[in-house]
Order: sequence, then C-alpha cells, then structure tokens
Amino acid sequence: MKFLYKYGTIVAIVAVTAFFSATLDSFLTYANFSDILRSISIVTLVAVGMTFSFIVDGFDLSVGSTASLATIASASALVLHRQELLVALLVPLLLGVLVGLCNAFLTIQLRLPDLLATLAVMYIVNGIQLTYTKGFSIYNDMPLPEGGVAPGKFIPSFLFIGQGELFGIPFSVLLMLIVVVCAHLFLTYTKAGRMFYMTGENREAARLTGIPVNRYRAYAYMISGAFAALGGIVLASRIGTGQVSAGAPLLMDAVAAAFIGFSVFGAGKPNVIGTLLGAMFIGVLLNGLTMMNVPYYAQDIVKGAILIFALALSHIVKK
Amino acid sequence: MSGLRMNEIVHSFGDVTVLNGVNFHVQPGEVHALLGMNGAGKSTLMNILAGVLQPTSGTIDIDGKTHTFFSPKDAKRAGIGHVVQEVDAALFPALSVYENVLAEHIVAQKQPLFSKTKQRSFVAQLLARVGLEHVSLDAPVQACTLHEKQLILLARVLSSSARYIILDEPTASLSDEETNRLFTMIEQLKAQGVAFIYISHKLHEIKRMCDRMTILRDGAVVYEGDVSLATEDIVRHMVGRQADARQKHHREISGETLFEVKQLYIPKTKTTVDLTVRRGEIVGIAGIVGAGKTELAESIIAAVETTGERIVRGKKQAWSSPKDAIEAGVCLIPEERRKQGLFMNETVEKNLTVRLLSNVSTWQWIRKRDERALATSLISSLRIRPSSPTALAKNLSGGNQQKVVIGKWLQTNSDVFIFDEPTKGIDVHAKEEVFAMIRSLADEGKAIIYLTSECQELLHIADTIYVMVDGRFIKRVKACETTYEQLVHHMSGGE
Repeated sequence: MKFLYKYGTIVAIVAVTAFFSATLDSFLTYANFSDILRSISIVTLVAVGMTFSFIVDGFDLSVGSTASLATIASASALVLHRQELLVALLVPLLLGVLVGLCNAFLTIQLRLPDLLATLAVMYIVNGIQLTYTKGFSIYNDMPLPEGGVAPGKFIPSFLFIGQGELFGIPFSVLLMLIVVVCAHLFLTYTKAGRMFYMTGENREAARLTGIPVNRYRAYAYMISGAFAALGGIVLASRIGTGQVSAGAPLLMDAVAAAFIGFSVFGAGKPNVIGTLLGAMFIGVLLNGLTMMNVPYYAQDIVKGAILIFALALSHIVKK
Repeated sequence: MSGLRMNEIVHSFGDVTVLNGVNFHVQPGEVHALLGMNGAGKSTLMNILAGVLQPTSGTIDIDGKTHTFFSPKDAKRAGIGHVVQEVDAALFPALSVYENVLAEHIVAQKQPLFSKTKQRSFVAQLLARVGLEHVSLDAPVQACTLHEKQLILLARVLSSSARYIILDEPTASLSDEETNRLFTMIEQLKAQGVAFIYISHKLHEIKRMCDRMTILRDGAVVYEGDVSLATEDIVRHMVGRQADARQKHHREISGETLFEVKQLYIPKTKTTVDLTVRRGEIVGIAGIVGAGKTELAESIIAAVETTGERIVRGKKQAWSSPKDAIEAGVCLIPEERRKQGLFMNETVEKNLTVRLLSNVSTWQWIRKRDERALATSLISSLRIRPSSPTALAKNLSGGNQQKVVIGKWLQTNSDVFIFDEPTKGIDVHAKEEVFAMIRSLADEGKAIIYLTSECQELLHIADTIYVMVDGRFIKRVKACETTYEQLVHHMSGGE
C-alpha cells in the first residue's frame, strides 16, 4: 500500500504509456509525444499556480476563467489595439494578478470560504471576458462592428510562444519546464517557500510563530492568478485566436493534476514536481483515448474518475 | 430509600484505578457540592453517572431502584441531566433557541410528526422555568450570551424531566450578576424538587449555594457532610497531608525589569491586568481552568485585539500581531501544542528551524547542510527522541513534541518566554526536563511567565506567583513564602 501511494502515479504513467504503445501504432512517436507535451504545457502552467493556492491551504477555482480573460486580453491587445509583444504579455499578466488580489481580499479580509469566493470570482471574470467580446472570438482581419477590419494581427513573435520551437523542442514545453524547475527550487530551497508551506500546514501555529500568514496567503492567490494568465497567453498563442471561454476546461485538468501530485513520491502535500507528473498522466491518458476514438465529451468522465481516485488514495493513506 | 445513591463505585483505566469504592449520595431537592483537585476523580464519577463511562464495579440506585447505564440515553431516561462546562460543545449554534431546547426531546420521541404549536408552548414553559422568558424562541443560539446558552442547556435537560442535574463549573465564565441570577434559578428549581450536583472550585459559592458536599481525593471520598466546614479544613481535605514535601529552593532575583504590561485589556474576561517580570525571574500565574490565563497570554503577545501598554527593556511597544511581539523578543509556548505550536505533518527539523532560517540562509536561499547541522545540535541538546531530524512531528510523544515547540525559540533573540500549561499531557520524566529547560533559561537571564492551574508546579519552579481569578490578579506572593493550601485557597476565590 505504501509503495502504491509513493510510486503509484509513476507506475500509472508508465503502465498507461505501455498500454497505448502496444495497442496504437502511432502513439509512441516523437511527433505524438511532442504533441502531448505541448498540450499539457498549458495545463501545467495553470496547475502550478493552483499548487501555490493549495500549499497555503486555499483553493482557487477562478483559474480557468482567468486564463480565458488573459487569452482575450492578449488577443485584443494585438488585434484590436495593434500593440507589440510586451503589452500583449504584460496586460494579461497584470489582469491575472488583479484577479488574485480580488480572491485574496475576499478570502482574507472578508473571510469568505475560499471555494465559494473563488467560485463567484470565476463567474464574474468569465462574464467580464464575455461582455468585453460580446461573445465573439478575436482573430486576424476580423470585421469590426463600426465597419472595416481589425487593424492589428497576431504577430509572429507572439505566436512563437505557443507554436515555435527551440532546438527541436516546442517553446511552450521549454517554458513549462523552466517554470516547474524555478517553482520547485523556490518552494524547496528558499525561506519564502518554506513560509508558504508552514502557513498552509497550520495557520494558527504559523501566526504564533511570527509568520505573516495573511501576506503569504495573498501572495499565493496572486501567483495563482499570474500563472493562470500565463497559461492563457500560451493558449492564445497556440491557437492564434482569442477564443472566448477557451480556458474553462483548464480548471478541472489543473485541479486533477495538482491533486494527483500530492501523492507523487509520497510527499503527501502539494508540490510542483508532482503537479507536473499529474498533468503528464492526464495528458498521456487523454491523448491515447482520443487516438482510440473515444469522443471528447466522454473524456470528462475519465477526468472526474481520475480525480476521485487521486483523492481517495491520499485519504486512505492519511488514515 | 429515596434519592440518588452511587454505591462502591470502582473505575480503572488500564492499570490505573481512578475511583476506589466511592459512595456518593444526593438527596432529592438538595444542592450537593462535589469537590476535589484536578485528577481526584470528579469527572470520572460524573461521567459514570451520566452514562458516558461504565464503572468497573458498583451500582447506581435512584429512588430505591437499581439502574445500569450503558449509554447517556439510559442515564437521561432515569432522570439524570448534565449541563457540561463547555456549553458550546452541546449546542447547535445556527439553530434556533426552540430547536436547541427540544433537541433531545425530538430525538427521543417515537412519532415522526409533531405539532409545532404544542411544542412551542412546551418550550416556552421550559424557558420560563429557567428564567428566559425574554428570549425569542426563534433567535439563533449563536446570538445568545454565554449565560443564556447555559440556561438553554438547562432547559433542554429539564425537557426530559431530569431530577438530578449535574452542573459542571457553571459560574466559570459568568459575571457576578449572572451568577446571582443562576443561583435564583437553582433555588426555584430546588423548590420544585430538582436536585443539583454542583461542581466548582469557588468555595465561597459552594458555601453560599450548597446544602451538603462531598470531597474526593485520589479517587476516594474523604469528607461528606455539611458545607459549614471552615475553608482551611475544606482545602486540607482536598489537598491531603502529603503536599509540600519538597524543599523550596530560593533564588535571589537581582536583575532589572525586563518586561512589563500596564493596564493590558483581556477581551474575553473584560478585565485589565498589570504584570512585571525581571531578568532571570520566573513569574508564575496560578488560576483554575477558565480563570483567563490563556486569554492573558494571547493578549500579551497581541494574538487577539486588545489595548494596554507593553514595555520591553524600558522601551514602549506598539504591537498589532504576534509577529511584532516576537520581533521585540517575546514569545509564547501555547497551551494547545498540536493545534497552535506544531506543524504536525512537517519534520522535526523544519519545526525547529522555522524561526532560525535567516541564520542558515544566504539571501533567501536555505543552506540545507547548515540547517541540518542546526537541527541536529538542537535535537541532541534537547534530547529529543527519536533523534532523527526527518521524523514527522506528529509521530513524537507529547513530551518530545513540547521540547520541539520550546526548542524552536531557544536560539532566537527571545528574552521573554511565556509558557501556557507547558506540562499538560506529558509524563513525569518529560516534565522534569521541561522544568530544567525553563530554569536554565532563567539562569541565562531570560524572563519567564509561567501560567498553570497546577499549584504544585508553581511552588516548585516559580519565584513570584500571581493568583488569577476571573481575569484579575487577586494576589501576588513570593513562592518561598506561601504554601500549597494557601494557593489553592486563593485560586478558589479566597482573599
């Protein structure tokens, strides 16, 4: 049982990969694997942010719609306002941090339960991006309501983030790896990282030990918002349009990835390496299922089942 | 044979005999005090009477009929009521007064439907009996005062027509006026034939309110009879003769005043206190459970919102959170070590170094090797077992956990250490180690504030003792000039 808990996720990834490789001819190819990694890169970025909120014993449900908002914001900056790369990156990131601040205010100052507060924010943010676009996606040369076409376009440097390659590796995958490594080092080897964990482990003890717990909780929500926005930027760049509500499905994937991550190597607590492996597990599974012609709408059933399994596993071992 | 009789009650937890043939007799319509020090067996006896525990041997007779209680339900059916000390634990805060009073009644009744009108008039009657006519039936219980909650609980107990009601420290957090009202209530119910078992440490209340009393010591009855006994004799019965065997050491305190609080407000008890601690001094604060010790400790380090002056090394402080207090050199070792002191799922190492990370890090980066060395040296100097720095805090024994909680402050810049019941739930050996740690801190020139309800410990370790009653200091004595009996007397509210 201990072994299963500690190495269960890794065993599962290996088993699922082996199964698909044996049954599907085109599964074990470089192109397909690069595809899987590319698709999980966005989920992982969002899930790493979510891991921060889990670490301080919080919960951020608004990441999906924050990612949508970021997608729309960068598309709008590029297409509707003809801005350059820097603006197309900074505006969505800033919006993400702002959503995080909003969550922090509701949960820390007003002391609302985090699940409910971020659920409300999730709806509000989703409504904002829908209202702003009036429900239409933003794309190159789109006709404008006041006549003519949009002045700007998705510039190549922006598209490079989601579509480009460096040394034969997709840039988004590199970005994901850099983020995971940095977040891991930050959480494991720095004083601030330790404070995040202590805050989540026992808030009252942390407070009596002199840790400014509310400040760290606020940081966690802001980081969560920023990473969700980063995920949204990569998403916009990858599809090359600002699709409305594009980030919505990311929420469930990110929650599942982070929760599966709890159990990796028997950590028993949120950690980014685990989150990465959790995202990989989901990615491999969904990719294989798609290739086996399981319709995309049935995949939600699989995701839900995986999350239940991950939760049950961490619960049983706790007892 | 009328009345309630508990005959030859014996109860053991494993090898430890807690009750050793106790005979306890309550007559109908009397208020009977049950006295004893912590650990004398009062709670065990009452838990047996309320059906929570089953005695190893012995019988319970009520009005001549012998009963065996297998559960609290059996006890209730036989007419035993229990108003617990922690009233909030027994109430449903979001439900209305009406629903709370009827909680037991609804559970007990057989038919699935009930008439709301009938029930409401029933509840109104019960509330009138306990003097709560003015409270709205539909008000949520969480909006009521502590005193009202207590009476609501009493009304609930009366709903099952209880004739013997246990009141456990009912006045622990009541104001004088509320206490008076409660006593009027008890008088009225007494006249209706209800008997009370009154557990309290406040001797003057017992003398005023009770008809007879039983004193327990070490699981046996040492006195049963009239309450007019002299206070000194009551204390002598409670304490026994074996106390004060240890020779009191006398320490000369010559250091300057290190820490002072003036007019510090304690929100929970609505009182203010003054306190002075000198360098090298161990100041003990004695008070029974509920006297406001923990609230005082939390007020000192600004863990709750409060007002008042705090002076460290002659410098006035403005603290708004424990963080400020800690940075000024004042730390708290809290009473609930699992809830407030430890990071249970983290390693001993991380628990010990949490305040010392600046010493083992460059910029923000923790030098893991130095952290390990620091943790290992603390573990070996504190003799923490198991000695592995990677053991999880939750897997340690209570005594070792306490050493970890204290250990995290040892190498910080803290000058003032506040210990809140530091020996709670730890064994004798670990206790001695904790005492040794506290004493060596004092010898190093730190100032110690030690809060406890165990007088023996204070006589053993403290230099100066403040006695706290209902959030106020009523007495300040030198430890070498007082006795156990005197301390118990003061803590019970005697001047």
